[in-house]
Amino acid sequence: MDLLAQVLINGVLLGGLYAVMALGLALVWGVLNIVNLAHGAFIMLGAYLAWHLYTYLGIDPFLGLPVTAIIMFCVGYALQRGLLNLVVRAPMFNTLLITFGLEVVLTYLAQLAFSADFRTINPPYAGNSIALGPLVVPLARLMAFGVAVVLTVGVWVFLLRTKLGRAIRATAQNLVAARLYGVEPRHLYAVTFGIGIGLAGAAGCLYGTVSQINPYIGATLTAKCFAISIIGGLDNPLGVLVGGLVLGIIESLTVLYVGATFGDVASFGILVLVLIVRPSGLLGKTT
Amino acid sequence: MTASRLGVVVAVVVVVAVLAALPLFSSDVIIQFGINALLLAVLAQGWNIIGGYTGYASFGNSVFYGLGSYGVAIAMVQWNLPFGVGMIFGAALAVAFAFLLGVPVLRLKGHYFAIATLGLAQVMSAIVSNIGIAGQNIGLVLPPLNNDHLFYELSLGLLVIATLTVFWLTRSRFGFGLIAIRENEEGASVMGVNTTLYKVLAFALSGVFTALAGGIHAYWITFLDPESAFDISLNVKMIIMAVFGGPGTVLGPVLGAFVLSAVSEILSSKVTNLAGLFFGVVVVAAVVLMPRGVADVMRQFRRTGWRYFAENLRAHRI
Repeated sequence: MDLLAQVLINGVLLGGLYAVMALGLALVWGVLNIVNLAHGAFIMLGAYLAWHLYTYLGIDPFLGLPVTAIIMFCVGYALQRGLLNLVVRAPMFNTLLITFGLEVVLTYLAQLAFSADFRTINPPYAGNSIALGPLVVPLARLMAFGVAVVLTVGVWVFLLRTKLGRAIRATAQNLVAARLYGVEPRHLYAVTFGIGIGLAGAAGCLYGTVSQINPYIGATLTAKCFAISIIGGLDNPLGVLVGGLVLGIIESLTVLYVGATFGDVASFGILVLVLIVRPSGLLGKTT
Repeated sequence: MTASRLGVVVAVVVVVAVLAALPLFSSDVIIQFGINALLLAVLAQGWNIIGGYTGYASFGNSVFYGLGSYGVAIAMVQWNLPFGVGMIFGAALAVAFAFLLGVPVLRLKGHYFAIATLGLAQVMSAIVSNIGIAGQNIGLVLPPLNNDHLFYELSLGLLVIATLTVFWLTRSRFGFGLIAIRENEEGASVMGVNTTLYKVLAFALSGVFTALAGGIHAYWITFLDPESAFDISLNVKMIIMAVFGGPGTVLGPVLGAFVLSAVSEILSSKVTNLAGLFFGVVVVAAVVLMPRGVADVMRQFRRTGWRYFAENLRAHRI
């Protein structure tokens, strides 16, 4: 029983992190109709940024998170403005391909710049944990979970309440109408993509504190983010949070009861199942 | 048959003859490069059937490649059967997979299909590394056959058959059905095309060629493990080659595979890491400037000149 509770705790903590990873992907997908296959690669870049900030400047990864997010926002904005805006009206397959190409480029650049070695961000409190009776809650994971929840709710409030958030949602619903109301799509698309990449960078910081990083983690993370977006639907950041928690818990349970190598199998099995049964997501609206 | 058509046919026959005779007067290095390039061309051509003609962008064809490799390896190592039987076994595995998973997965469209197939590709190596007969995560070692000429001619033969099959698609009822599905699936269904059957058959056909290429590669390399057999980056290569050459054309994917293999080989002989980067840059540039591939550029460029690229840019930007 204790073991099950412990696994559930691990799953929930992991799930919060997953949610923040998927948030940017879901936002870009929902608004720009681009499935960014390079999303995981941007998470990887964010993790490396945090690693460099910590290793060379001694900045704690949680404090470095805003810095990383802002840098990644600028990268995302420039990329959308300079490159992706050129293909945003092309058929879906072309945007998939171009982000696929970006993922290849980013992975190889990361391999050249950072080498293929495994890195970990190890702040002094990394090994600490809180005891809850017989259960153990790792401190770094708990903090990552807290930040993830704050970010997710923050994005939700931002989309719902602010002028820019409303403009983004309006563009997602109807580009022509939003244009008539004075939305400048080139800028707005770039801002949205920037936010998506900024969130990927923030997620990367958190990922780096709880897991090992190397240049090749991107592809698997992209697929997980996609699975979460599918489970949660694209309409609402809180759906992504639920999707992340579902995936985190299922993965932890699979690793415990079936075997360590089956963690990824479980998440992709669920992805394919959900796609077949309910392509608009478990929580999404049926079209 | 018009004169220009006849010209293309003659040119293709000459090129195939020259390629077939190539091992007689070239070095081992060239032959080994040739085997790789020919097998990649088969993969691109196989992808062309499901991605180019049917319009279903599979990011999981590497699964077929892995199944073909393991089919040959299991038949030869575990059951002591000849290579030919192994190839048939591998192709049968691919067809079985295409039918079992094709029926549910091909119901999905667009992004969903692409990512579902990508998900399958990522799962396969984890599954195979737990199967005893496949050597788990240690892999299998095949009996060595030191005959690169044979592998070269086998690969060339497979590519010719794959290309002829795609040519047959352009003038058969089945092929027209696939193109109709690509252009408008509901319309095709209304016109009496059994879309589910056609899509699954296209997926299986694509899978058979991919699996046979995997089988040849496994016997040639004589070693196989789950990671390399179900290598996801293989999807990147085959898709980029097909798209660079021209998806939905008979010769485009072959052309794309040859050109990109050659450039990547030259680059990697200069700077090792550049080859991978190169594929990424090529696909980004190709999507922006020539989204319908080299085949389309060659057809349109004479008429429009450099404006061709500008027009492609203008068509899709916001």
